[in-house]
Parts: sequence; C-alpha cells; structure tokens
Amino acid sequence: MSQYEKILLKNMEQPGYTGSLAEYEQAGGYQAFRKVVKDMQPDQVIEEVKKSGLRGRGGAGFPTGVKWGFIPKDHPGPKYLCCNADESEPGTFKDRQLMERDPHQMLEGMAITCFAIGAETAYIYIRGEFRLGASILEKAIHEANAGGYLGENVLGSGRTIKVYVHAGAGAYICGEETALLESLEGKRGMPRFKPPFPATHGLYQKPTVVNNVETMANIPHIINRGGQWFAGIGSPPKSCGTRVFCLSGHVKRPGNYEVPMGIPFREFIYDIGGGMRSDKPIKAFIPGGASAPFLTPEHLDVKMDFEAVAMAGSMLGSGGVTVMEEGTSMVWAALRLMEFFYHESCGKCTPCREGSSWLVQTIQRIWNKQGRDGDIELLSDLCKNIAGRTVCAFGEAEVGPIQSTIKYFRHEYEALICEAQATMPRNKEIPMLTL
Amino acid sequence: MATPSITKNMITLTIDGKTAKVPKGTLVIEAARQVGVMVPHFCYHPKLSPDANCRMCLVEIEKMPRLQTSCSTPVAEGMVVKSASSAQAQEARKSVLDFILANHPLDCPVCDQGGRCDLQDFSHEYTATTSRFKELKRVFQKEYFSPLIETQMNRCVQCLRCVRYCDQVMDVKALAPVGRGTLTEIKSFGAHDLDCEFCGGCIQICPVGAITSRLSMYEFRPWMLKRTDSVCGYCGDGCQITFQTKDNALIEINSTQGAGRNNGDLCARGYFGYHVSEHPDRLTSPLIRDGQAFKAVQWEEALEFVGQRLLDIKAKYGPDAIGGLISGRCTNEDVYVFQKFMRVVVGTNRIDSSVRYGHLNGVHAMQRVQGTHRWAVSFDDIEAADTLLLVGTNITETNPITGLKVKEAVKRRGAKLITIEALVPAIGSLSNISNLAQHHFAVKPTAYAAAILGLLKAVVDQQILDVELQVKAQSYFNDITANLQALSWEAIHAQTGMDSDSYAQAAQVFGQGQKVIILVGPGVLRSQGGFGMTMNLLDLLLLTGKLTKPGCGLAPLAEENNDQGAFEMGGIGAVLPGGTSLGDAEAREALSQSWGRPLPDTAGSSLPQMIEDAKQGKLKALLVVGENPLASLPPSSGIHTALEKLEFLVCQELFLTETAQQAHVVLPACSYAEKDGTFTNTEGHIQLVRSAIDLVGDSRPDWEIFSALSVMMNDPMEYGDVKEIGKEIRNLLPGTRTLGLAPLPAQPDATAIARYVTADYQRDVATRYQLPAIDSPDAADYLTLQVSQSLFHSGKFSRKAKGLLQVEAKGKIYLHPEEASRRGLSDGDTVKVSNALGDVMAPVGIRERIPQGVAVFPEHFDEEIRRLLPYTVDPETQVPSCKVTRVRLEKVSGA
Repeated sequence: MSQYEKILLKNMEQPGYTGSLAEYEQAGGYQAFRKVVKDMQPDQVIEEVKKSGLRGRGGAGFPTGVKWGFIPKDHPGPKYLCCNADESEPGTFKDRQLMERDPHQMLEGMAITCFAIGAETAYIYIRGEFRLGASILEKAIHEANAGGYLGENVLGSGRTIKVYVHAGAGAYICGEETALLESLEGKRGMPRFKPPFPATHGLYQKPTVVNNVETMANIPHIINRGGQWFAGIGSPPKSCGTRVFCLSGHVKRPGNYEVPMGIPFREFIYDIGGGMRSDKPIKAFIPGGASAPFLTPEHLDVKMDFEAVAMAGSMLGSGGVTVMEEGTSMVWAALRLMEFFYHESCGKCTPCREGSSWLVQTIQRIWNKQGRDGDIELLSDLCKNIAGRTVCAFGEAEVGPIQSTIKYFRHEYEALICEAQATMPRNKEIPMLTL
Repeated sequence: MATPSITKNMITLTIDGKTAKVPKGTLVIEAARQVGVMVPHFCYHPKLSPDANCRMCLVEIEKMPRLQTSCSTPVAEGMVVKSASSAQAQEARKSVLDFILANHPLDCPVCDQGGRCDLQDFSHEYTATTSRFKELKRVFQKEYFSPLIETQMNRCVQCLRCVRYCDQVMDVKALAPVGRGTLTEIKSFGAHDLDCEFCGGCIQICPVGAITSRLSMYEFRPWMLKRTDSVCGYCGDGCQITFQTKDNALIEINSTQGAGRNNGDLCARGYFGYHVSEHPDRLTSPLIRDGQAFKAVQWEEALEFVGQRLLDIKAKYGPDAIGGLISGRCTNEDVYVFQKFMRVVVGTNRIDSSVRYGHLNGVHAMQRVQGTHRWAVSFDDIEAADTLLLVGTNITETNPITGLKVKEAVKRRGAKLITIEALVPAIGSLSNISNLAQHHFAVKPTAYAAAILGLLKAVVDQQILDVELQVKAQSYFNDITANLQALSWEAIHAQTGMDSDSYAQAAQVFGQGQKVIILVGPGVLRSQGGFGMTMNLLDLLLLTGKLTKPGCGLAPLAEENNDQGAFEMGGIGAVLPGGTSLGDAEAREALSQSWGRPLPDTAGSSLPQMIEDAKQGKLKALLVVGENPLASLPPSSGIHTALEKLEFLVCQELFLTETAQQAHVVLPACSYAEKDGTFTNTEGHIQLVRSAIDLVGDSRPDWEIFSALSVMMNDPMEYGDVKEIGKEIRNLLPGTRTLGLAPLPAQPDATAIARYVTADYQRDVATRYQLPAIDSPDAADYLTLQVSQSLFHSGKFSRKAKGLLQVEAKGKIYLHPEEASRRGLSDGDTVKVSNALGDVMAPVGIRERIPQGVAVFPEHFDEEIRRLLPYTVDPETQVPSCKVTRVRLEKVSGA
C-alpha cells in the first residue's frame, strides 16, 4: 500500500498488538524515557525537540520545543502539563486511535515532557464521548505507575510524575487550550483572552504546557532517534516528521494514514485513499478539519505541509481531510458545517455568539429556497466582521467554510437564490383603499 | 515633582493623537479615558478583571497585526493607538452593535434603562440605523428571578459584568451564565430563585436593561428623576448614595461608581431599604397623650407643653432630674444641638446616645491606649493591608462595605486573613468571610476573649515582640507576659476548641505582617468584657510593635451610621464635643465662651445609670431622640420600670415605636432623606447628607425641634439653618473639617502610649488577662444563643422597608444543619426556647455558617426572644451587654 515508514502507527499495526505495557516495552517502549531520566538534562530534552522541528499536531502548528521553552525555569510553585485529547474537530479521528491502540506511546511522551518542563502533575483532558479511550488510558496509567514510569520516584530518579484523566462534558470549545484549562479548573468552558499565555498563566494560573495527543506520541521517537533524524522526515525545514492524516468523505478507503508531511493531496487521496468511491470527479476537499477552508481539484497537487496549504488559502490544521465528489451541494456542505459551529459557539464574545446564529439562519434560508438578493454580500460581510475579532480562533474557523464556498462556488449560492426569487409564492394581497 | 522611581514606571503613548503618560500596567482603555478619549465598551468595568468578551472596545494599535481590545491590552512605551481616528475600529464597533442588536428586542419604550443605556448611547453614536438582520429573533422565556430583581434576558448583551461582580467583588457567586452560544442567559446559580445578598450590584453594573429593580419597575423614565447625593443612613460604613426622586417620591437609590468611601458598592439595606422614609405609618403631627390615646396637636401647643413641663421639672427637682438619649442615626448637627440644649438650656450632663450600645468600648479603648477617638487607619489602609485580623465582626452582615475592603485586600491583593468569628466556613447564599481566611478560629460567641488571649499568648511564647518598646516598657511587657504565662493552653483550648499550634501559626502570620489591621465588631464590642477584649487587641498591636506603624491599627466597627459622630459631637454625657473628657478645663472654657453660658458641673451619666436613677426616682424626665430603648434593651435591664416611673417622657420619632407609645409627648422628626447635615462614618470621615424629598407631614429635623424648645424655655438657641450649626461646630472643633474625599486618619499619640505602658495599664491588667469564667462545659442540650445583626436589616427601623421585608420578614432561630438534625429539628419547626428568664416560641431556620452549639436570632425581630437575655454593664465604660445567653430548645410542632 504505502511505501512510507510508519512511526506512530508502527506498533499498533503489528498483528495482535493490544497496547499493553509489556508489549509496548517489548517494542522498545519507555527506552526514550529511561534515556531522558538517566542521561539528559531538561534543557537538553527541550533542545532536542526544538532541533526536531516538531510542530503541534492539534491544529495551530506551534513549534513544540519553543512552547516548552516559554515555561519559566525558576518558577517556585507547581507547573502543569495538559494533554489535549478533546479531539472534536469534524473529520478528525487520529488522536482517538493513538490513545486507544497505543496509549503508552503518548504516556511516555507526556512523562518526557513533564521531565523537560519540570511538571509533577499532568492531566489528559479527554473528550467526554471517548469513554473507551478514557478507560484504556486509566488502565495504562495504572500499568505505568506499577512499572515505575509514572507516580512517585519515577525510574528511581526521585521525581514525581502523576498523570490524571479528566473527561470533558461535550463542548467543542474545550479543545481550545484556554477553554480547556477553564473546564479543567471546574469552570464553564470558555476561552480566556490572551495574553497572558498558558506558558506563564495556565492551569490555576501556573505555568502550563498544553499539547495534543499526537504531539506527545512523537516525543519518544524524537528522543530515541534524535531531533536530526526527525527533522529530515517530511517537508523540512518547516514541516518535519510524519502526520497521521484522517481521510473521510466520498473516498474508497477512509481511515487514518501516517505519511510524511509534504506529499501532494493527489497522492494521498488517490493512491492511499483509493480515489473517489463512485469514480466521479472530486469537487472539493477540506484539507485540515472542519475549521479549514475548502480547497478545489486545482489544489490537488498542493503539498500536505503547513506552508503549502497556507499558501493555497487554507490550513493543514488537525489533519482531517474530507473529500467531496462532484454532485455535492457546497451550500449544503457549508450549512452542515455552520450548523455545527452554531451549536458549538460558547457565547463568550459578541461576534461569534451573534454571528454564528445569523450566519446559520441566513444559509438555512438560502438552502430552503428563501434566499434574497444581497444575501451573499451579507454572508461575506458577516464573515469579515467575525474573523479576527473574536477572543479565540473559533471565529476564523466558523467563517472558513462559508468564505471558501462563496469564493469557489458562488454560482451555487446564486442559483439557489435565483430559483427562490423565481419560485417564491407571490400571493400577498395588497389592501386597496376604498372610499 | 515626580520622583525618579515614578518616572521610571511611567509610560508615554499616544491615543488618537493625544499624548498620555500613565503608570506601567495601565490598560489602554483607562489611559484613553485619562486623555479624554472615551472608548465604547460593555464588558469592561474598572472594578472587574478584564474579560474582553463584548469586543466593543477594539482599537487599532500600530505594529499589531489586528484590532486589539483596549480593555485587556496594557500600555507600552511609544504605543500609537487609534480609536475614533481609526476607520477600521469604528467599522468593527458598528459591526459589534449590529450583532448585538440582531437579537435585541428594541423595547426601549418600556425599558427602565431607556435613557441611560449604554447600548442606546452607542447605537446613537455609531448611527446603527436599519438592521440587515431579517431572521427571527431569539426569545427567552420570561423567568421569575426574585421579588426585588427583574431580569429581561432578551435585552442582555452577555457581557457577564453581573456574574463577575457577584463573584469578584461580592464573593457571593449567586449568578451564572446558563446555556451556550446565543442561548446564553444569566440565571441564579442552581435551579432555584435568586437567593443572595441582594446588594443590587448586578442592577447597578448592568450596562443595559437586562437586570433592573422590581421596586421601581415602570415607575419612571430616567430623565424624570432628580438626583440628590447623600449618605446612607443604615450602618457605620457611610456609603455614598444618590436618591433618585420623581415628584417628591423616592424612586430608587444608587451609588456612583468610584464615588464615596464605598466606591459605588452598596448592600441590600442601602440599595433596597429606602422605603422607610415614605412609610404610611410615619408620624405627621405632634402627639400629646390623652389618657390611653394620643391626640394630634399643632407644633405650638406641643412645644409649649414640653417646654413648660421641662421647666417645671427643672424647677422642682433640679436640672439633673432631666435626661436625654439620642440615636446614632441622627446627624452631627442634631447631636450637637441636642447636647448643647441639654447642657445649656436644661443644664445637665445626663446625656447618652446609642454609641453606648457597643461602639463606645472601641472608642474608649483607643483613647486610653493611643490617645485618639478615631481609627488611625482608613478604608484605603484596609485594602492595602497585608495582614488582617477580624474578631467578632461577622462583617458581611454588620458592615458589608467594610467587608468588601477586606475581600479586596484578600482576594485581589493577596493579604493574609486571620478570623476569630462565630462562623464556620461554608458556601451559602451570603458571602462568608471565614471562607477567605488562612487561619480561622471558629469560636462560640462567648469565647472571643479566650481566643484573643490565645493569640497573645502565642505571640509572647514565640517572642514576636517589639524589642525597642520592650526595653522602654519593661514592666508592661513583664506583667503581660506573666499574666499570659499563667494561662494554660488546655484552658484556652477548652473554651475555643483550638490548640496552641493553631495560635502559633496565626501569631507567626500576624507577626510577619508589615501592614496589619485588626477589625473588631459587635461580637466583641457589644458583649460582656468587650472593653477588656478591645484593650487586649490594642496590647497585641503594641506588643508586636505595630500600633504606631503606618498602615497598622485597630478598627472598631460602628454599628449605626453616625455612632462615631454622636461620640464626637458630645452625645455622651462624660464627653464634650471634640471627644475630650467632661473635666477638660481648656475645652470647657472654649465651649462656654462660644455658647455664652457656663457648662453644668455635674458628672455625665450613662443610659444604665439613668435607668437606675429613674427606678429610684432621681430621674423624672427623659427626652428620647430617635432611640428606642424598650426595643434595644431586654426587660432584664429594668428599662420598663424605669420608663414607667418617669413623670415625663418625650420622644422625637419617625414612627410610634414601643418607647414612643409610652411617651407623654411624641414629636414627629424627619428622616435622613428629608434633612441636611453630616454623618461621620466608622473610619471618622465626615460626609454631607442632603435632603432629597420634602418633609413628610409636619415632621421637622431634630435640631430644629431643640432650637424651638429652647425658645419656649426662654433660653433661645437659634439657628437659621443647618449650615449655621455646621459653621459653629467647625469653628469649635478643628478635627471636623475633613469634608474631603477621604478621611485623614488620626495619629496615635506617643504621650498617651507612654502613659499607658508606664502606669495606666496596671489598673486592670490582671482582670483583662484572665480567662472569663464561662458556664461549665455546655451540657449537650444547651445552646449559646446570640441575638445579632442581619444583613437585611438595621435596628428596628428597616422593618418599615418593604424591599427588605421581601428578603427577611421574620426572625427565626438559626442552627447548623447537623445541630438541628441531632435535635430532631428541621426548617420551619416551632420550638420553645427557654432559660432561667423565661420561654418563648420561635420558628427554626437552618444555616450552615453557624457553628454547632450556637443558635443565632436576628435582633431586628427580638420582641419576644429578648425576654431571655440577661443584662450586664461594663464597669469601666458602662456599656450594657445583652446579646448572648444560654438556652434550651424543645420542639413544639413540625413545619
């Protein structure tokens, strides 16, 4: 199938691999953590990760080593690591597999991160619906505690690393790092305005690193094989390593595929994903989760790395590639996504709260053949007034699908509005003045 | 001239082309305000931490990629900010308004906020005309919130100011946003009606008409209201209030953000308690007793009658057969003219006021140790303190706004808090100061003395002492140390339930503090031994070297709004105006010069003394001004007999109180809403009271009544208006000139301290440093009953306020839930409360903040229960104490 070397999915693709501690150890697991504890200083670990060029796999793609470097070294009180396992982006389902199938891989990454930033407590903030993942992680933490990798005096180093699993209660916004922290503190999950950033004022106002599951899973491999090695994979210098991309939509073989960053979408969708399920031409695809604007067939040769996708006007985001075949209504697709964002807007800031309901109602109206002249301009205006003016990145995310469908498929909106204007019942009686 | 360190911390930036120079850390929106650039906003409020949720205050800042919220961006050197001058920012604000108005009902014609609404003003400013929103508006179902507070969630802009205020400032957390996205609405936290402190803060801070007062709903348009700035007449905090009146009717009260000593914050009494002045029961004409009833008469007749009777009694029995008692609710001018009338026209020093009920203990203790009758600290010092010790304050209920200063210090500025209170930490509908304490001593109301001694003992044990003073005042240190060493930790533990370690830890914290303030409240001041306890707290400050340090001091909390002023105006027989003692020759000379008449030579007598004298027939007539001793004192004080024995009782009152019903003549006085003058708050700050409505009926200010009486008694003491009195007071007493924005705290007097530590302390050191004999370890079925102040009332006066009665309309005997369940009692049961003095029936209430073994009953409803209260008088200060006793409970019937 694929000629690329698997890194993150390697263990779990072995037949019969269940993800237990013994199996993980047998596959070379926790060697990286042993190495870190025995031979390395925290700064060396951070340096190594910086050298690897690893960027966050949650969506924003912030360089991981740099993020760790922001944690104040001489802070007297506790510091925290939060692993963001609140994977809720429509079209994204990689973290779930990484957690459920090889939990120790991410736990080892977390242990190393705790060592590097000097945290004694780490939380895994897991999406509430991931009951299975949570129980697997609980079990794995139990095993790791018993195995001396987590808990008190890890590997005889005298350090304490305690990991807890905390389940969310069903809000997409809690995947946003500051909303995650609020929720973890027991408050209503709403984003905080930044600055200050979590690196200095995070969980309980203490220095905190928030990293995605896949990011954590990469760490042991970087330590084992060196930052240099990692930096050579993919599309250096800005997009190093592999990504577990999630392929969904009208393709023959949907699923998670680990490939080096930088391969073209065409290769991913057609060679790896087997092409369109109906052999109809592709009409559009989302390159990086529901928050990423749509791309079109003319972008199929764009490389799957941070820069190239950004150049094409979208983002690599969480790595969820959703493909749509010819015949799909893009207004309907935008409406579906907008319904999701309307439902998930937390309501904290005005443009997103009010804008999402306005947008969804307008597109609904267009879709229901009650569109009016000027609706497209209205939608564009609303999008412009939301993006860049909200507390968190949700604002940009919710307007992406609409702006891109208007950009590439404006005629579909116009057709619906035209049809509405032509067919709308015109039976309103106008009262006549009679004397 | 700016000192170098200040210049270093100043930052220069330009906002809309204007140059601003502000301290580092200032937010852009504040810097803009300082140079006259008003950035529109909803969610920002200087009292709250920035939330940046409304996005209205977006500004363009050069070198920053996108528009920034000016409410959350701190200034930086050389920053170039564009607000009104940025087309992009203006356009963004317009779009925010567009978004907000999309779902807003636009019901301005029937909105009480219409005319003073930020949303209206900004819409006007940004010319939001036709909305492009053509969809259906979101509609929230109307939900009942509370009898006092109205919510219209369709008008809400979700700025969360109310929620944040309730949490950050009040520490109550009664409100929460419920729902998500456009369906977010503000509700009470938990599925029940609003149950909170009812401070009205959410109404005041709401920028739109989402939260309004039900007491004045639909009664006004804001532009019809006349504003009168005045001072609240309830507790000693002395909050700035603004009466809003329409056609001579009180419509509402609010307080201006940033104004007064309260900085715009109010409590339930201040915000919702204003209907007293307009109560239909107000007395509108003078009454003269006619057999069992009263007959209404004209002022001339009443004054002539009173004047003549007083002259007759004076002629027959001498001036000392006439006494006077005035309330600490009267203005300084009232008290001043009253005591002048008594001393000059009647010729007696038999004068007392409600300061006697407790605040006097604090004042006398301060006078004795530090030579001042005022605090040596101010509210600002409380906010800036790094260590606070609260003893017997129950501050949320007694002095709620002083309580906010404590919360500010602890929550925002990280001050350490030690509390010795009859409270247990518990989350409840009211904020609980013990929740915020690092070291909390939950003691019974009878164990304050033991806990204070415990703290002193720990200080001495650990040598947390002022070495310098120790050398200078060896015998003082030695005597106190010896007395404390004689106390056993076991005995302290037995009374307070806290061990020596707890005291040691608290003492360490206390000792390390650089700005240490002790607040002492009615739990101590009004209880038996209150004077000694206050003295011991001053010793604690003195021993640890904190008494004379700037920012440190003792702060006794005044219960009534002008207790402090009543003392300073000479409302105590033994004290002359200015707070000097009656025997002070210099002061006597100055006064008699000014008054043109000699002062009486007899000693002043206190209320307890007057009660005794009346019983023995030595006191024949009593003038009671705004005071209601029959309700303030229990029957065990003998007040009933005393009043019955009087030949002549005159009351100046707003209502026909228990005492007024016994009177021979009742003269209608006016309330604080109808008069001018000044009040002095608990920190000694003198503030202007202004009349907001016309006099009700034929009522008159108290001073005017004395002035008229003096004419009738052929010794005219005429004043044209209250300003003349004020002038006379200010000429006599230089210390009363501080009508500024903040008080000038008194300075501890070194001579007084020296006198105290060399000899004066010896007088009572042995008695003060003994553990009080409290009743043998309480038998299981006995409870310590405390009759105390509730947040929702003030004396008996507030029971005429319909708003407050909505919150608390009757007294209950409150118990801890476990105490109640152990006794098989539940909320609403009726119990027989009994002790040696008698028995009364009372309903049971449940409160988690009350310690086990303690029962609390609000004093405002104590008509029945006060029959059970014993009465003792402090030998030194003559302060009566009658608030604590032991009772048994017996269930009579279920709820």
